[in-house]
Amino acid sequence: MLDLITLHELILAVIVVLIFVLILVISVLIFSFFRYKSLQHRQSWTTIIQQKITEVIVDGAERLPKDTSFALYLKIPSFRRYFLSTLVSSERKFTGKAREEVSRLFKVFNLEAEAWKKMRSKRDYLIAGGIQELTAMRVEQALPQISELLKYPQRQVYQEAQYAIVSFKGFEGLFFLDELQHPLSDWQQLRLLRSIEEVPDTHFEHINKWLGSRNESVVIFTLRLIGQFQLLTYYQEVLMLLDHDMVTVRKHAVRILQNLENQSTVNQLLTVFDNQCIEVQLEILKALKASKSKQTELFLQEQLRSHPDIGIKISAAEALMVLEGQSYLRAIVTSPETSSQIIQIVNHALQEKTC
Amino acid sequence: MLILIAEDDELILRTIEHKLLKEGHEVLLTRNGKEAIDTIKEKDVDLVITDIMMPFASGIEILSAIRAFGKKVPVIVLSSMGQEEVVVDAFDLGAADFMVKPFSPNELVLRIKRLTNQLS
Repeated sequence: MLDLITLHELILAVIVVLIFVLILVISVLIFSFFRYKSLQHRQSWTTIIQQKITEVIVDGAERLPKDTSFALYLKIPSFRRYFLSTLVSSERKFTGKAREEVSRLFKVFNLEAEAWKKMRSKRDYLIAGGIQELTAMRVEQALPQISELLKYPQRQVYQEAQYAIVSFKGFEGLFFLDELQHPLSDWQQLRLLRSIEEVPDTHFEHINKWLGSRNESVVIFTLRLIGQFQLLTYYQEVLMLLDHDMVTVRKHAVRILQNLENQSTVNQLLTVFDNQCIEVQLEILKALKASKSKQTELFLQEQLRSHPDIGIKISAAEALMVLEGQSYLRAIVTSPETSSQIIQIVNHALQEKTC
Repeated sequence: MLILIAEDDELILRTIEHKLLKEGHEVLLTRNGKEAIDTIKEKDVDLVITDIMMPFASGIEILSAIRAFGKKVPVIVLSSMGQEEVVVDAFDLGAADFMVKPFSPNELVLRIKRLTNQLS
């Protein structure tokens, strides 16, 4: 085999490999150099931008002195993009006049065009960024275009559009839920809930529609909305959701009933308990534990003794502890008829209480 | 008045600094809890404005340290949404006031004035 490769060919091969390694090393060095430069830029840009934002918050955008060096920076496209994204994140840190002043900076430095350009691009992350920026700038003229993006196929974009519409319109911005097919993630639900300041009385037909939605996440979001704003008038509708096909909806319904609790809640939960699956039963036991209602004592004792599921037994024992049922639990432990499994569960509950 | 600000967010730190300087106060800046505790130990500050969550030591630890040093410095706590329990702890340790972020720097100045009036 060795006879087939001449010395000349071998040297040639080594040289090729060396050239390849050299090119690789040079590429890495060039890449690192540019990365270092870009990081250095970012650091100095951050200081300049923060200085400008601070001046604006304290002195007001109208009193900004003419800053020629800042104007030069603004001619660099990457600086403008970075400035815009920093403004969006800074705006969220302040309220009142400070926030208004930061928002005014978008207009003073004519950054709106930048954001429009991003929203009209073809890359999803740029479109989402553009929506975010136009929302932070409160550019209401962008609403029609943002509304169209509610039906955009990519999640990153339609989620940002949903958030933007709700930020602009408040509760009315939620009307997209009427026809929503995609699931609303927990995080998105939280963002939307935090953007709503009030629920007007006149929109009950929408809430009813959402509670009957085929989209499970819309129902759960509406339950959270009812809980957050303590919409007691929907108590009956929430109660009816204990018959919903989806377990997650039933679990949330129990949580919201606990939130809206009235004198009949405990009885209603006790009535539906046997018809529910273990997951929902556990949620009901949590609600009963939180209610600290003495009328649940016999029911809990029964669950501890006879329920076939060990998780339910543990939850029942823990709820009994909250009801100050130590004497009953201690009596169970000392009784010769009690199974070793129950003794173990009760001892665990007693220990939890001691800790 | 010599005011110490303990805050790890540079923009918030600089904004409060700028605002307080404009109001005629002297300002000491610290970017983490440990730095703040060391400064409070060394210098006689008249007021502390501290964030709750910070590297190395939290706002709560700063309050505990002030108590341990036997100093009677009023403290305004800056907290985020959902940190209600920590704010209660801060009040138990002697915090004079608190503000929830996002916040208004103008309101912070008003609270400082109110606090100063109460103390004097």
